Amino acid sequence: MHTQLLDKLFESVEFGKINLASPYPPAMKGLPGADEITKEALEAGISPDEILNGALIAAMDKVGKKFSEKKIFVPQMLLSAKAMSVSMNHLKPYFADGTVKRKGVFIIGTVFGDLHDIGKNLVSMMVEGAGWEVIDLGVDVKTETFVAKVVEYPGALVGISALLTTTMVNIQPVIEAIKAVSPDTKIIVGGAPLTADFAASIGADGYGKDPGEGIIWLDAQF
Amino acid sequence: MASKYLTLVKIHSFNRMKKWIDSVLGDKKRTAFPFITHPGIELIGEKVSNAVSDGHVQYKAVMAASETFDMRVCCTMMDLTVEAEAFGASINMPDDEIPTVTGRLLNGAEDVERLKVPGLEKGRLPACLLASSLLAENIRDKPVFSECIGPFSLAGRLYDMSEIMVSIYTEPETILLLLSKCTEFLIDYCRALKATGTAGVIMAEPAAGLLSNEDCLLYSSHFVKQVSDAVQDDDFTLILHNCGNGGQCTHAMIESGANALHFGNAIDICEALQECPPGLIVMGNLDPVTVFKQSDPGKVKQSALDLLNLTKSYPNFVISSGCDLPPHTPAENIHAFFEAVDEFNQSL
Repeated sequence: MHTQLLDKLFESVEFGKINLASPYPPAMKGLPGADEITKEALEAGISPDEILNGALIAAMDKVGKKFSEKKIFVPQMLLSAKAMSVSMNHLKPYFADGTVKRKGVFIIGTVFGDLHDIGKNLVSMMVEGAGWEVIDLGVDVKTETFVAKVVEYPGALVGISALLTTTMVNIQPVIEAIKAVSPDTKIIVGGAPLTADFAASIGADGYGKDPGEGIIWLDAQF
Repeated sequence: MASKYLTLVKIHSFNRMKKWIDSVLGDKKRTAFPFITHPGIELIGEKVSNAVSDGHVQYKAVMAASETFDMRVCCTMMDLTVEAEAFGASINMPDDEIPTVTGRLLNGAEDVERLKVPGLEKGRLPACLLASSLLAENIRDKPVFSECIGPFSLAGRLYDMSEIMVSIYTEPETILLLLSKCTEFLIDYCRALKATGTAGVIMAEPAAGLLSNEDCLLYSSHFVKQVSDAVQDDDFTLILHNCGNGGQCTHAMIESGANALHFGNAIDICEALQECPPGLIVMGNLDPVTVFKQSDPGKVKQSALDLLNLTKSYPNFVISSGCDLPPHTPAENIHAFFEAVDEFNQSL
């Protein structure tokens, strides 16, 4: 039964079935979603750690690969990430009391001057699903806000996103300010107009072409 | 080259855009159309916030760019907030950056049902119409294009971009209703832009580039086609710009009915050219930041020459930037780009 529940949860996340009420995907209409299945799994005695590692992380890993291979696109990824996120809500108390260990802390925000959040939201949800504690600073994040959080969470990794050609140039001063107070902090950047060359030119330690690549980079730092 | 200018001098006449398109297709020499507006704002020492709010300032900025650089085609500013603001969205308008939509105007089906399609007197629409009108009146030797947002990108700004991506699957009827209202507005707006005398409109639809081809057809192209059917003719061309397309929704862009497609640097332009019919103008796609802004003139020139050589066998290709050139793009880099185009054309 445990295996069946974990398989159902994996499928719910893979195909973006958030809860019973959600009409998507059509093939799973009327069936319980990630929300209900996670609750059932915990009540059945499956450990939060097993739920996270046995279903959620594996499912999001598969979703990330499908996105990289252009088999699915942003809407499907967002639905999967939302399904994973509602499942995580049931697990949060176990992170707080230390029952489930996270890989580390990841601070993320959209750079100052930029109010776009779709990529950042997607990455936040997927990175959390990959087992990290995510500190989401939101959008239009000032340099000093990033720096303050890095000081508050020593050892954290940082992700900075920008969606516009006019705001991506704001990332470099943020990187420089962070490195000035914490030279060992590793920073990954991403966003539609960015490239690997651009990331290298502004002193970033990593470039995430898509959320899946971002998670691979994060896990490599772990 | 001289014959091309003679053709352009006559463009404010019957069938002008058909003639322009025919000249692009028929001439071995390449046409260049990078999107240059921020450099113009800097040339006249103005703020971006003034340029996007005051039609006279925007007109002067585009004129300055047109007179400074070797531009054979011009366009107004790519500001993807004017239309959302007219619907009632809140806007953040810093002095020296393009405005952005803040918050979320619409929170579900009831809000969409109650949403009224705004008139063209709202917000900064009159300023944009004025800029187009002044440019059409005063630039007579080259095509001038207006700009507007595409229907899916507009709907996303009203509904929240992350939410609309999910809602096309969880509440499709609501999103289709929203898209219908956005399209009704865009048809009115594009008709008004056409009446100012510009040669066409660049419709920016970057959000649709995040969709699959099937979803792009359903939630973008189907609605863009309604606009192109309403306004496009031999005097007025719709250029569909989608810098988000990585290659998966080129087919959907073709189905929009636009007579020209504009691609960003996310796509392999040769793959796009192979997929597009030979009579469809294809524009793109030098990186506006890493090439135009961050490189030196030598690298800009080489990048442009490389792209021109790569696309040599496609008569329907117009070399362009992948998107609007960002603020503080060095003037010498822009000059280097046009030098590359001239050098290439002279070598033919």
